[in-house]
Amino acid sequence: MSQLSSYEIALIAGILAPFVSFWILVFWGPRLGKPLAGWVGVALGMGVPLALAFYVLIGWWGFETPESRQHLSEAAARFYWANLGDVPVTVGVKLDSLTVAMYFMVTFIAFWIFFFSVGYMAGHSDEVGHRSLYHRFFAYLSLFGFSMLGLVVSSSLLFLFIFWELVGLCSYVLIGFYFDRAYASRAAIKAFVTNRVGDFGFLIGLMLVFFYLRTLDLDQAAANFAAQFHEGDGVFAGGFQLFGWSLATIMGIGLFCGAMGKSAQFPLHVWLPDAMAGPTPVSALIHAATMVAAGVYLVARVFRLMTPDALLFVALIGCLTLTLMALVAIVQTDIKKCLAYSTLSQLGYMIFGMGVGAWIAALFHLITHAFFKAMLFLGSGQVIEGCHHEQDMRKMGGLRKKMPVTCWTFFVGVLAISGAGIAGTHLGLGGFFSKDEILAVAYARAFEWDDHHKHVPGEHAYGMPNDEFRIANAGVGLGLPPYQGVGPLPDGRGSDQYGRGSEEDGRGSEKGGHGLDHDAAQSEAVFSGIPPLPRWMFYLALITAYVTPFYMMRCWWMTFMGKPRDQHVYEHAHESPLMYIPLAVLALGTVVASYFLFRPMIADAAPVATAAAMVLPTDGAMHTPAIEAAHHWLTLGVGFAFLVGFAIAIAIYRNGLETAERIKNAFWLTRGIHSVLEHKYFFDEVYEVLWVKGTLLLARICRFIDTWVVDLVFNLAAGATERLAAFSGWIIDAHGVDGIFNGMAKTSMDLANAVRAPQTGRIRNYVLIMAGVATAILLAILIAYSQSPQSVATLSRGL
Amino acid sequence: MTIGLDHYLLLSAVLFVAGLFTMTTKRNAIGILIGVELVLNSAALNFVAFDRYLGPGRLDGKITALFVIVLAAAEAAIAVGICINLYKNVGTVDVDRASRLRG
Repeated sequence: MSQLSSYEIALIAGILAPFVSFWILVFWGPRLGKPLAGWVGVALGMGVPLALAFYVLIGWWGFETPESRQHLSEAAARFYWANLGDVPVTVGVKLDSLTVAMYFMVTFIAFWIFFFSVGYMAGHSDEVGHRSLYHRFFAYLSLFGFSMLGLVVSSSLLFLFIFWELVGLCSYVLIGFYFDRAYASRAAIKAFVTNRVGDFGFLIGLMLVFFYLRTLDLDQAAANFAAQFHEGDGVFAGGFQLFGWSLATIMGIGLFCGAMGKSAQFPLHVWLPDAMAGPTPVSALIHAATMVAAGVYLVARVFRLMTPDALLFVALIGCLTLTLMALVAIVQTDIKKCLAYSTLSQLGYMIFGMGVGAWIAALFHLITHAFFKAMLFLGSGQVIEGCHHEQDMRKMGGLRKKMPVTCWTFFVGVLAISGAGIAGTHLGLGGFFSKDEILAVAYARAFEWDDHHKHVPGEHAYGMPNDEFRIANAGVGLGLPPYQGVGPLPDGRGSDQYGRGSEEDGRGSEKGGHGLDHDAAQSEAVFSGIPPLPRWMFYLALITAYVTPFYMMRCWWMTFMGKPRDQHVYEHAHESPLMYIPLAVLALGTVVASYFLFRPMIADAAPVATAAAMVLPTDGAMHTPAIEAAHHWLTLGVGFAFLVGFAIAIAIYRNGLETAERIKNAFWLTRGIHSVLEHKYFFDEVYEVLWVKGTLLLARICRFIDTWVVDLVFNLAAGATERLAAFSGWIIDAHGVDGIFNGMAKTSMDLANAVRAPQTGRIRNYVLIMAGVATAILLAILIAYSQSPQSVATLSRGL
Repeated sequence: MTIGLDHYLLLSAVLFVAGLFTMTTKRNAIGILIGVELVLNSAALNFVAFDRYLGPGRLDGKITALFVIVLAAAEAAIAVGICINLYKNVGTVDVDRASRLRG
């Protein structure tokens, strides 16, 4: 068994701390009381993991060289847990830069949200049915910390799935924290059930991985997948097709279904806006920053198991989500719902980025989004708290004077999500880089595909040993490993290259050598198998980049700028100082955390995490003709999108709501569009009819069948049995079996009566009988004597 | 007239019948016991008489008579014990009242 490195120990300890905190709060929470239970949750539940995350981040990124990082991540221990059939299940830490970055992001944001929660709960009711559930809130938060961190570090798909379900559970209990309020418990159930739909697909994917790849370890699965691809067997063996998708594609889509549920992608997005029924810190932590991003993280982790078709599906779903949800966000009036739809749209961007192969950019967007969206939600929590639980933005306005800190930190978040920055330079906030990069890669996939991918065939990403930006230097950046029409390879690339065990010193230089050869030979056949991205997807993503700043600015302007619209709310508005610190810290994080820390970390993880993927991820920052062209184009195209969006939003909402109202009522088309958007494309209504009513109808049909078919059969059978039983009871049992036994008993009785008759109990009778019998014997002897004296003589001789 | 075997047998028969009659008619347990003694003694008398007249010089009959006496003594001891217990349990020595084992 290999030795655990100090990083692994720190990561595992960081997972266990919130678990311990959870049990402490469960058992001793009521005794700790308010607010001590909250501080326990903050300190042990997230303070300790954050400290450990700092240690890991600084050690990993500051003191390790790329070589030692690679060595450490390959030496990460895998502990044998159990056998599923003949497939061993291992558990361990997936140690690479992505894990470290995610771990740090989660602990950092979670810590400040825990901190914020103490302030939030201080001013909020924590009672359900007259019992304080204050400790329970922090217990759930701690459990969430445990599950989320476990999810991030899991090296095995099975454990990832376990933690995946645990975060789903935490989400459920926290949305339904005020479970005595009908809307909260309904929202919780909706979230849970919708997630189950996605998890069903995830389970199918998992089973396919288990059944065909014979492992649940992420790295091993990827290696087996690549090997099977080159051999053309296993999951790639032809035959089974569904809608023209191979089994491998279905596996990828199945795994992605989990991400669709958790990250609330297009058909399963309905739960996330409702999840805002939970307390605001929960919305910020779980339903904006961390848990919903887990779907993107999952896609990133199983990127190597995705076929091009599956990724095209991913891109399609992401594209639909990001467009449709951004449009809904325009008409929302509830401040939290508005942010929820913007979260959906941004998650759509991430998924879309994954789908087009912008692995680095999508994860980069995940992390930047986590920072600013957590901050935006905390800001909205501050506003709601300050405005006496008013969530309707139409009643707000002019709050900048009452809550300046919230106003300006919120503004930083708005800038960040809008992708504000100075085009052409490295000055900008998170979204400026990450969203731009996703769009750049999408552009390259959509437009530059045919021109560039043939130029440098064969230069393969992992052909370059010990290069931090191997993907970047792959020449074309869109290099793709063979996909179609490739038979078994002559020099045994399949097994020895992908098998972990045979590698002595990492993915070293010897592979670089022959990697070039086959790729050169195969690339032509390969590229023809991968379609370019449909251009409409790129256009939708591009247009949405203009919509995002519009609705965010609208949200900010309606809340903080203009004149107060509701005097009562305005007078009540105030800020809570305890909540300043998290807001300020996260604003600072939004400004600095990004291009210079997290992006290089993700880029560092990319070569290994996506090695031998069928669609090689594209590094949007590299200097290749395709990407340069994309960037050039996009600088002009969306570089100033945020200004356009801001300008339109300010123009419309500068004088309150009247302008917007006029536009809405301008003519029937705008009214219709507004109505459709306001009803969120009638998804809830359609689902109500289709699924809820459908389920009820199905239940009714089942009940009908139950009553009139099943019960009928059973009643008939029961009746027949009853008659049969009566017959057999009367004829056979009463007269046959019982007759025998009763007869036996009666005979014995009669015999006994006959025998007992002489037993009178009178000694006289006995004496008389004795005397009579003796006399009779004597008489018999005498008679015998008189008839044959001889025999008596014999008798006397004997005497 | 000399007294022969017939007289003894006659006496014995009288004794026997007297004993049997006592056993069948008496309700008192002690009375029944006396009847039993009479029957036993008539048998013993028979043995002695047959020994004297049919087998002179032999001791079989006399010894059997002695056995009968011993037997009668043992029997009397047991029977009296039974009587005492009967009285303890039933409160009387009337054998008609002690019919608990009646069939």
